[in-house]
Amino acid sequence: MKARPRRVQTGARTADLFAAPAPTTAPLTTVPPLVAPAIVVPPPRPAIAPVSSQRRRSLWYAVVFAGTPDLAALSLHAQQFTSFVSHEAPNALLLEIRGSLRLFGSFLRLRELLDARWQALGLQTQSAIAPSTLAALWSARLGEDLCSDEATTLNGRLLQMPLICTAWDAARLQTLRSMGIQRLGDLLRLPRAGLARRLGVQAVRDLDVALGKQPEARRAFVPRERFRERLDFETEIEHVACLERALEPVLERCALFLRRRQAGVQSLALRLRHRVRTPTVVRLGYASVTSEPRRLVEVLSQRLGRLELPAAVRSIELHSGTLQPLSAVSLDAFGGGGRDTAVQLIERLRARLGEQAVYGVTTQSEHRPEAAWCRVQQLSLAAPSASDPQPPEIMPRPVWLLDEPVLLSPREIGELRLESGAGPRDPERIETGWWDGKGVARDYYRIRPARGAQLWVFQERHTKSWFLHGMFA
Amino acid sequence: MPRESSSIADLLADARVWKLKDASASHRPSSSRPVWSTGKSALDARLPGGGWPTASLVEVLIDVNGLGEVQLFLPALVESQRRTDGDVPWLVWIGPPHEPYAPALAQQGIELGRLLVVRPPSATEALWAAEQALRSGVCAAVLLWLKGTDDRWLRRLKLAAEEGGALGVLFRPERHRFESSPASLRLLMTRGEQQPRLELLKVQGGRPGLVDLGVS
Repeated sequence: MKARPRRVQTGARTADLFAAPAPTTAPLTTVPPLVAPAIVVPPPRPAIAPVSSQRRRSLWYAVVFAGTPDLAALSLHAQQFTSFVSHEAPNALLLEIRGSLRLFGSFLRLRELLDARWQALGLQTQSAIAPSTLAALWSARLGEDLCSDEATTLNGRLLQMPLICTAWDAARLQTLRSMGIQRLGDLLRLPRAGLARRLGVQAVRDLDVALGKQPEARRAFVPRERFRERLDFETEIEHVACLERALEPVLERCALFLRRRQAGVQSLALRLRHRVRTPTVVRLGYASVTSEPRRLVEVLSQRLGRLELPAAVRSIELHSGTLQPLSAVSLDAFGGGGRDTAVQLIERLRARLGEQAVYGVTTQSEHRPEAAWCRVQQLSLAAPSASDPQPPEIMPRPVWLLDEPVLLSPREIGELRLESGAGPRDPERIETGWWDGKGVARDYYRIRPARGAQLWVFQERHTKSWFLHGMFA
Repeated sequence: MPRESSSIADLLADARVWKLKDASASHRPSSSRPVWSTGKSALDARLPGGGWPTASLVEVLIDVNGLGEVQLFLPALVESQRRTDGDVPWLVWIGPPHEPYAPALAQQGIELGRLLVVRPPSATEALWAAEQALRSGVCAAVLLWLKGTDDRWLRRLKLAAEEGGALGVLFRPERHRFESSPASLRLLMTRGEQQPRLELLKVQGGRPGLVDLGVS
């Protein structure tokens, strides 16, 4: 038993390895002769001497979960330990951990941490560490307590493993079983070319990979760029308070998800599903890009506080909007303390009053008074620039502008004494906008009626009618 | 202003501590909290400290828009944004009767990037928003237009203003004139013959009465 691995270790070529006499029991005669030997088996690399290139080689941690777990979600946990996580459908993950060894001390320690993480998540797992992907994976599938960085022990253990660990398809395994082959060691004793013909090139390649003769090209898991999580409740939830409590861990996970990507969100969508009704969609908006769990939760509770559930909730689903990179401004780690930041204030107001109800105003370079300003929903939280170039306004402008100019009746015109000779003087003439069809030609006056407010009125120059447009408050 | 320290000066500066001698003196000692000039010397002279008090609630009773009621506060708002060394504080206008016209405010010197307009759906929400803004500590002043509210809410606003160190200005209709109010300053603005008439109904540490604004 010990002789076999030594062959591998001493750098024997596969040809030697497979040169062992095939078992007489193998029903080779049942295989029909091939018409054309079209299958090209790539020559395996010479077995790498374990000592010389130990640093270069990768080291793999494989974990197999019971049931059908959400691999993407679990990969996020795994990515805290290594940058390379690969999925093995349907229920396993492969982690390259050589690069993380220095940080975590040893692979034994790392394995402890990883296993503890799965346990904390309430998952049943089997894990193994080996210098090759498939060796680790296969050991983990079998539940073998393989935890080795050495090819010697690895190969010794591999040869003992039953074929079922390879998770090859049933037909292939059946063929092998009928050949009387139970263990990987038996398989390796067969001639390589024949093996490739019977089982396919892939199987031979798998064996090479498992033995560490050939590296395997694996695709690293790239996390998706949206956060989405669904919670189904066993009993329907009728109270908003319960909903909030159920959502808090989800938001914390969302925050973790964002943190790990150095990203943040500006809005989250929450979908509450009911039994019969159409789902209720709640939008959580944030004043700035954030990944702060505290802020995420605060807006949620404000928003839920004024939510009336039309029906009991069966499940909830949280979607993040597009992820946006966090900037230094949006990291309010040093701001606040006990006190609020402006961002938090705006968020809280928006969460309760609605997104549209909280806005800023800014000027626009435009001569028509009604177009010279606009609302700003996206409030800039950076310090305002020292010198904002303001258009030099000669004439004063009123603090209040009416939404629409109000046409003054003849009686009002009389009361305001606009027509008489003692009427207002020195109008400000605004005549512009002829190019876009909304042209204006107005004479603006600032007048103060005998008893009352100071008004901003204008006379349409073509129609000669008078309008009230604002008030100097 | 650090609220933790408990020196006698800080205690005296607290608006809740009412000093007897203030009632007779027309000016507060210089050690009290800063005030913001109203921009009108006649009015400054009548106010304790010579301007709008910070960290307190001011109530303006007014029925008609456009009597220059915002103009009373604009110089103070500009000053409050300019005077700080650190980040420019925010101004929050809650439920204004019309759209605040950005060019006019910019003309007066308001930092528009730090002005927040809030349109709450109801009076309760408006009061809630005002309380949040006053208490937050990031706002220099909060202007609130309301049709009416009760005394209890005003008390909360006053406490929030003191806690956040902000100036709270509440505009209400004149019919609330004879209700009790915790505001440290109450003003009544009505139409006058030539110009609006301004009356101080209540001045903590000053004397109420008519103010002659002079020709504006």
